[in-house]
Amino acid sequence: MRWYRFAVLVLIATILQAGFLSNFSIKPDLLLIFLVFFAVYSNTSEAIISSFTIGFAADLIGPAMGPQTISFGLFGTALAYLHRVIAIRKMPYQALAIFITSILAGTLAYLLNLIKSEPNPAITYSDIFKTAFYSGIVGPFLFLPSAWWMRIKTTRFRRNRVTR
Amino acid sequence: MLAGFILILAPQQWTNKFQFAFIRIFRWPLKIGSEISLASPTQQQFSDSSDQTIIRYENHIANLEQSLEQANQKINQLSGLRNRFPLLKGAKLETADISTVTISDTQAELIINRGTDEGLMSNQFVIANNSIIGTITEVSNRLARVKLFTDKSSNIAVKLGKSEVKRVMRGIGNNSAKILNLQTKHKVETGDRVFACKKPGLLDVPMIIGIVTQCKRDDQQPSVWDITVQPACDITKIDSVTVIIMNP
Repeated sequence: MRWYRFAVLVLIATILQAGFLSNFSIKPDLLLIFLVFFAVYSNTSEAIISSFTIGFAADLIGPAMGPQTISFGLFGTALAYLHRVIAIRKMPYQALAIFITSILAGTLAYLLNLIKSEPNPAITYSDIFKTAFYSGIVGPFLFLPSAWWMRIKTTRFRRNRVTR
Repeated sequence: MLAGFILILAPQQWTNKFQFAFIRIFRWPLKIGSEISLASPTQQQFSDSSDQTIIRYENHIANLEQSLEQANQKINQLSGLRNRFPLLKGAKLETADISTVTISDTQAELIINRGTDEGLMSNQFVIANNSIIGTITEVSNRLARVKLFTDKSSNIAVKLGKSEVKRVMRGIGNNSAKILNLQTKHKVETGDRVFACKKPGLLDVPMIIGIVTQCKRDDQQPSVWDITVQPACDITKIDSVTVIIMNP
């Protein structure tokens, strides 16, 4: 993993999410998309570290510190371990992985926000669903440029076809 | 994971320092990003700067009318004793620039470049173009977070211009708020002005906060109104705000 490039990528995503995308009513969660990206294209230990780091970045621009570090870290780790068993290579599967991870991470962050005693958090379940849906649609298309930036070969795990 | 739990369990005023530090360091790219997205045509409600000036004066007139009305009521109550209406008399008005704007379905808030060093505290009212736009929720030394009244977690006591009945107005996102539980026996029309109620120590005079943009019978409870309110100024176009510090 090229950590310097990782830091730049996460920083740009965080700034875009908090600045440019913050005023759109319909928006994907860029940080969550990158969480799934690193879970899919990195080895397990790198995916776990990147999950917690991305979660921390999401907290920096969120309503409170802590909830997303835990939820992103937890589900990023789970996805990284799942990826050891099930390869998530095709775009529809990646979209599904982003959608499910977004819903789970969003719900856990919402519940943890209640522990943080945030009064009546602004995010609702329908918002979580909408964000997950749009992230699922946009996410797989961001994987290729992200892989280029991170110098990750997206085809390195592909099995060779046997020809007779 | 441990760090996450420490962050959750730590007091919010400590953990906020991380968020405020991030905003302070990256305030320029964040501001540019916000401005680009706010410049998109779908977000525009008012056309140009001349409209802004008109809106500012209209709001000022509305505030003066409300002040006059309240003064007249006091005069009547006190048997003709003349009583000068103290419109923000003695209050400190702290002007602040906006660092970032977030107005979406889920959030409606500003980060401003004033903090505890200038006497800002939580719950203080924030005005722009002579109308209230929200309250301060979190403060650091040099930055503060303003929750707009259209934020989904915002609840603010208001009264409608024509009636004296007070109700809670709740933010619903999308630059709008709803006035809750107002019976249909009260007369309400589209275009009515909505005023934030007095709050001792924070706001000594009712001030305009919004305008009724839709008023219809509630589908589920036909005996109450379903009233939608939008801000009395275009929040997406303001550059600076003023914080009311009633007891400087």
